[in-house]
Amino acid sequence: MRETVLEISHLSYLYEGEHEALHDVSVSIGKGEQIAVIGSNGAGKSTFFLNLNGVLTPKEGTISYRGRVIGRNRKDLNWLREHVGIVFQDADSQIIASTVYQEVSFGPMNLGLPREEVKERTDEALRYMDLTDMKDRPPHYLSGGEKKRVSIADILAMKPEVIIFDEPTASLDPVNTLMLEEVLEKLGREGRTLLVSTHDVDFAYRWAERVLVFEGGGILADGDPAEIFRDGEILKKAHLKKPLLLEAAQILSGKGLLKEGEYPRTIEEFKKCF
Amino acid sequence: MESQRTGHSHGELSIDHYAYGSAMRSWNPSFKIVTAVFFLLCVIAMDSMAVSAVVLFFMALVVMTAGGLSPLRYGKLMAIPLAFILLSSIAIAFDFSMAPGGEYCLSLGFFYIFADRQSLLEAGALVLKAFSAVSCLYLITLTTPMGEIVGFFRKIHVPKLLVELMYMIYRFIFILYDTQRKMAAAARSRLGYHSVRASWYSFGRIFSNLLVVSMRRAGAYYDALESRCYDGDLRFWEEKKKICPLQVLGAAGLAVIVFVVWIYAG
Repeated sequence: MRETVLEISHLSYLYEGEHEALHDVSVSIGKGEQIAVIGSNGAGKSTFFLNLNGVLTPKEGTISYRGRVIGRNRKDLNWLREHVGIVFQDADSQIIASTVYQEVSFGPMNLGLPREEVKERTDEALRYMDLTDMKDRPPHYLSGGEKKRVSIADILAMKPEVIIFDEPTASLDPVNTLMLEEVLEKLGREGRTLLVSTHDVDFAYRWAERVLVFEGGGILADGDPAEIFRDGEILKKAHLKKPLLLEAAQILSGKGLLKEGEYPRTIEEFKKCF
Repeated sequence: MESQRTGHSHGELSIDHYAYGSAMRSWNPSFKIVTAVFFLLCVIAMDSMAVSAVVLFFMALVVMTAGGLSPLRYGKLMAIPLAFILLSSIAIAFDFSMAPGGEYCLSLGFFYIFADRQSLLEAGALVLKAFSAVSCLYLITLTTPMGEIVGFFRKIHVPKLLVELMYMIYRFIFILYDTQRKMAAAARSRLGYHSVRASWYSFGRIFSNLLVVSMRRAGAYYDALESRCYDGDLRFWEEKKKICPLQVLGAAGLAVIVFVVWIYAG
């Protein structure tokens, strides 16, 4: 069993004057897990993320990080935010500074680190996202993909244990989507805990080791991707498509061409089956 | 590079673009600002045509040589305040009268426009002074990105609220500008500007929409700031740029020239 990093119990959240956005959500997240969070728009994914990071305060329920229940005081919240970072969906709503370098330094500066360490972390994050060459550029002269990379470097510089990506591939072109997947792979190999929300079931199926399905403000299903995507009931309720590769594997095993219970997650694994 | 292309498309925001591309960007921003403001004050206080000319010449020279801005671009930028400066100096050079007078007089039916040597000289001095002052300000704005200028304001203890507003406004100008451009394109694609009436309507809708979008954006921004431990203070890394002795020497040299010119020719 993995060490639990984040423990969410009976979390409910209410937007002002609206219906309940999250209702009684309980889930625990282990160290180094790579989780895809799926579900239609308005299912509560973003609200869930903002709660995990302390930007929104739950109406009911608690969030604890490494056994410490997060209160509403600034100290607890900052502690949570230091360890759980969010890469927002729209990079333009995240980038605030007037150069890339200043932008990436914003998080470490807020952590109150000594000057040397801020510089070290900023440099490291820029190198990681291959942004060193454009460190003096203003954000408004960057392309969409470059902005996305800056918004990821923003969070990396804070060295959080858990990194949340809110629909990272939305509005990215294929080249940048590939870049993003490589970054996710790399972060995963380094043992970071990752939560990624996405509408791309194929990506969720091939990348994630665990899937959380949100529907109507609650968690509809939580478990192994191959199991969840095989469950017609869940797919129907959450309005999800079945991943192509899974569909193909099921057809092939129905015709006896693939061993029963074999579910390749990537094209490479699929090839190896024959 | 793609980003370079988008940079040029900003049109009237090109001053910002030149500032980022300037070869003088590595200079210490405080040094640049203090020097430029010093010569600006010289131009205004000494009130001498010779001083104005000398400062204008050297400021333009520095921006074009050390800053690497092409003379054509510099000229175009100088033309921006041209109309304004010329119009106001015409009012000083010429006067109206019912009777002929002055050294140069033009009869226009029942009244006269006239000027004399003194008023023409005054207007000329004013034009020169205005351009000289503009050249000092251009030395700052064409070589120093906004972020560094705001950083200077922070250093001289301009109230925090103003400094942070400047940071935010600067960032938002580009976001709003982009959003507005997209909305205008969308309106145009639906014939939103096919008549004067429709244009006014689209214009109004876009601006009210822009307000709504801004409000929503502000909310998203605040969330993103909070998630990075924002505590009410915008803190960014500021690169410590060294002041090069040669640059100080150059500025001091120019100051000496200006004073000498003032004493002998002013």
